[in-house]
Amino acid sequence: MTTTVVEPQLDSPPRPVRRRRGRSTGSRDAWLLTLPALIPVLVLSVIPLAQGVYYGFTDKRAGLGIATHVTGLENFRKLWHNHLFLESFRIGLIWAVSVTLIQFVLGLGLALLLNEDLRLRWLARTLALIPWAMPPVIVAIMWRLLLDPTVGPVNQSLKDLHISDTGINWLGDFHTALPAVIMVGVWVGMPQTTIALLAGLQGIPADLHEAAAVDGAGAWRRFFSVTLPQLRPIIFAITSLDFIWNFNSFGLVYVLTAGGPGGKTMLPMLFAYNEAFRYGQFGYASAMGDVMVLLVVIFLGLYLRAGLRKADA
Amino acid sequence: MRNRVLIGAVTGVAAVALVAACSSSKSSDDKGGSTGGNGGGGSKVTLKFQSLAFQKPTVAAVKKIVSDWNAAHPNIQVQYSEGSWDSVHDQLVTQFEGGTAPDVIHDEAADISGFIQQGYLADLSGDLPADVKSSVPQGVWDTVSADGKIYAAPTLLQSYVVMANTDLLKRDGITVPDGATLSWDDFQAMAKKATSGGTYGLGWGLKSPTATILSLSLNFDGKYFSGSGQDAKVDVGDNEKQVPQRIHAMAYDDKSIAPVTLTQSGTDILPGFYAGKYAMVVEGNYAAQQITEEAPKSFHWAVLPPLTGTSSNQAADPQTLSVAQSSKHVKEATEFVSYFMQAQNLAAVGQGDWLIPTTQSARDAINQATGGASGWTQTLKGASSQVAAAFQAATNYPRWKDQIATPAFQQYLANKMSVDDLAKKLTSGWGDVNQ
Amino acid sequence: MRKPTKAVRTGQYVALALYLIFLGFPLLWLLSISLKTPRELASINPHLIPHHFQWSNYSDAFDAQGLLRSAGNSTIVALGSMVLTIVVAFPAAYALGRFKTRLRPIATGWILVSQLFPVILIVIPLFMILRSIHLLNSLFGLVLVYLVWTLPFALWMLRGYVAALPRDLEEAAAVDGAGRLRTLVSIVLPLLRPGLVATAMFAFISAWNEFFFALVLLKNDNVRTLPLTLAHFVGAEGQVSLGPLAAGSVMATVPSLLVFAVLQRRLTSGLLAGAVKG
Repeated sequence: MTTTVVEPQLDSPPRPVRRRRGRSTGSRDAWLLTLPALIPVLVLSVIPLAQGVYYGFTDKRAGLGIATHVTGLENFRKLWHNHLFLESFRIGLIWAVSVTLIQFVLGLGLALLLNEDLRLRWLARTLALIPWAMPPVIVAIMWRLLLDPTVGPVNQSLKDLHISDTGINWLGDFHTALPAVIMVGVWVGMPQTTIALLAGLQGIPADLHEAAAVDGAGAWRRFFSVTLPQLRPIIFAITSLDFIWNFNSFGLVYVLTAGGPGGKTMLPMLFAYNEAFRYGQFGYASAMGDVMVLLVVIFLGLYLRAGLRKADA
Repeated sequence: MRNRVLIGAVTGVAAVALVAACSSSKSSDDKGGSTGGNGGGGSKVTLKFQSLAFQKPTVAAVKKIVSDWNAAHPNIQVQYSEGSWDSVHDQLVTQFEGGTAPDVIHDEAADISGFIQQGYLADLSGDLPADVKSSVPQGVWDTVSADGKIYAAPTLLQSYVVMANTDLLKRDGITVPDGATLSWDDFQAMAKKATSGGTYGLGWGLKSPTATILSLSLNFDGKYFSGSGQDAKVDVGDNEKQVPQRIHAMAYDDKSIAPVTLTQSGTDILPGFYAGKYAMVVEGNYAAQQITEEAPKSFHWAVLPPLTGTSSNQAADPQTLSVAQSSKHVKEATEFVSYFMQAQNLAAVGQGDWLIPTTQSARDAINQATGGASGWTQTLKGASSQVAAAFQAATNYPRWKDQIATPAFQQYLANKMSVDDLAKKLTSGWGDVNQ
Repeated sequence: MRKPTKAVRTGQYVALALYLIFLGFPLLWLLSISLKTPRELASINPHLIPHHFQWSNYSDAFDAQGLLRSAGNSTIVALGSMVLTIVVAFPAAYALGRFKTRLRPIATGWILVSQLFPVILIVIPLFMILRSIHLLNSLFGLVLVYLVWTLPFALWMLRGYVAALPRDLEEAAAVDGAGRLRTLVSIVLPLLRPGLVATAMFAFISAWNEFFFALVLLKNDNVRTLPLTLAHFVGAEGQVSLGPLAAGSVMATVPSLLVFAVLQRRLTSGLLAGAVKG
């Protein structure tokens, strides 16, 4: 199949008028193109977010007819001394970095495989999305069952393969709880990473690969000199999003371990959730949210600055 | 020109999709839970009742109660909707803030104490009839009251009981106790004796240890808390240390508790129980229902008499029916709640859920209906030692439980902490939480 | 291009199989659970193949409180949200990716804050807003909420895909006289197809599986979505009606897999060799 190729007309003079109009209407076009998004976003996202962020500076609490007062930085002062929150932040960072990194490496491998011309590719691609397709309520319960020390198949297989006699108390042992929970987190997040990377791989022009192959580059060389650079913007986009989502996740871990044992898997979001919904301290919880946003934005900012700068080069 | 056409087309497509969504949803009146009368004439009242019943027989029992009521009260119609235990708390927090809570709310005492303090539940003291008030012991009323006012009707209780595999006990020459009480010393001795031949004497799912330990500590008058509300204080003395120390001794000195069970939940340890890995388990009494349903036919079990130290007291945490403060028909809603509390109704719901009704008449009804089988006799006896506990009235108890007590108990039970450190952690943690 | 050697190919199949076992085994186990009796579920030596097939788990799940209707509601909400997200995000992402406008840093800021700030904390302000515009308890309101909360991801990702596109084709088209919108639809859209498909999948599954907003914003039984219905099988104190829950979950997983199977066919390159020359 051929497409008609648009060939630039080199012999006719350039049309500065068109170009200039293009640039000045660019801004107007941008607004036009984003207009459908703007209104619902403003009403349903920006306003609640602004309110949420603002509550961090108040003493908003649950209660009938309770007035809210602005308390300035009082919540943040309390947070600074709340060593449990700081500890949860540390666990959150370990969790988020580990899950994101492993997700990315495994996801890239899978995306490369699904990009190849293998048989039954459609089936493989669909099956690879199973973690996505399963309802979250059952995912956590499933994994709790799979890792159950007495009736779980994971321990059963370990016993059958004679790797372990008694099985491992994955979620109950102080040392294995966080790694086990990280593994489940990776499982849950594989589809979004894989699909995002696969789409990126599909977007790489085939002739770039061809040109490199003609130049004598083997598969690995091509991967590093063609694939990775082309994928760069997408890699940064999906890993930064993965990191944010992983840092903010808590439903999964809550069902698996409820933050235990002994607080070893207490993530910051779980903290904020308890503060708001269990103790009714909306203001304090919002302050936690504000701190989380600030710190992660700084962390990400450095990450992305490095990424985007290289991309523009 | 073309831009406008295209934008118009795109908007059109979106509009069609949204019309599909619109037409299949029925935006209902969301001004709170109940609707008032229509125009003049008979003032028909509709009450929204959210129930959390989830076992099939319980759902059937609740639906029957609602339909019987609706048939007898054409002017006060009750609309039944289902909630789930898992998410009811979050749902209520949001609905209370937004003023759209149901009229009749099904929850449990531990959960509503926060809502009571926040003023979201209606005071029922004036509207509850005297016969309902007298049918429930004062100790249980205390769990749903504050400042002398009643904020919910307690419906069903649960208690922790010891269940035993009678075949395993027989094998080790232990007679199955059937007296009025089972002392902790005897219990520990039984567990030690039953630890033989590859089985443990006891499995105890203590993944969430705080509620269990605090409740059973009342066996030794270990209250942990004194005072109430903002003035509550934590004190961990010898009484309070009894239960944790005994469990620790069973686990690490007698080695009669299967170690893995200490990190599992109550429901998760049942398969090991059926498979004969441990001779006894400590469970909420409702576990009897699961055991009846899923244990192998060759499994023989019994409920042992209530655990006793200096008393058999446990902390009462009944399921509750409350009325929202924002409801426009508090009086009618309370009438329905009182109807729910009638013996036959409460008995039907209690039987469905394998929980203990708060009223003696309902308990008698269950005893009659079941003949005391499947451990019902022992279970129903447990109701008389249910009392209100000091920790239920302490502001900031949930925070202390999540952030201090649960991790500390978990570490103590994992033998990573001494009992004195535990006491120190619990007391100093209360100070931290109350800054 | 040189085809990979047989050894490499075999290695690829093996690697793929290992991945699929890791990713797919839980579903297999779920299927197994959905066909087991409570007695077998409580037994200590689990087998993949049930000893007695209990088909009644499926009928139990089906009978439960309007599973079919909530599945229908979820379908409407998920499809509506998916279509809307693509339609709204595509032009906006292009604008943010190609033009240097003041909108860009504002949008980036909003995207980051909306993804980072704990969503559970804005649920109450959102609830109040929806109540005041009378969109509580409606599927339409829910679709709008999902649209607005999926947009950040969509914009972030699509911007990346747009940035990865070679500008040559667009510039060629501009020189040749095509207006912005024409360029968008006939040149950029096909090139962006893989990215759009990925975003569509994400939008669909986010809406299909979303629980918290649905829990808080929907009250009536007739507008309930699937995750809410499934939650009813989870009772108090960790008691779960495992058989019916598994059956219901299997039934909830299949539609998503079907949607993915259909969409993934379009996850192919829109860029054909030789389109950019000279």
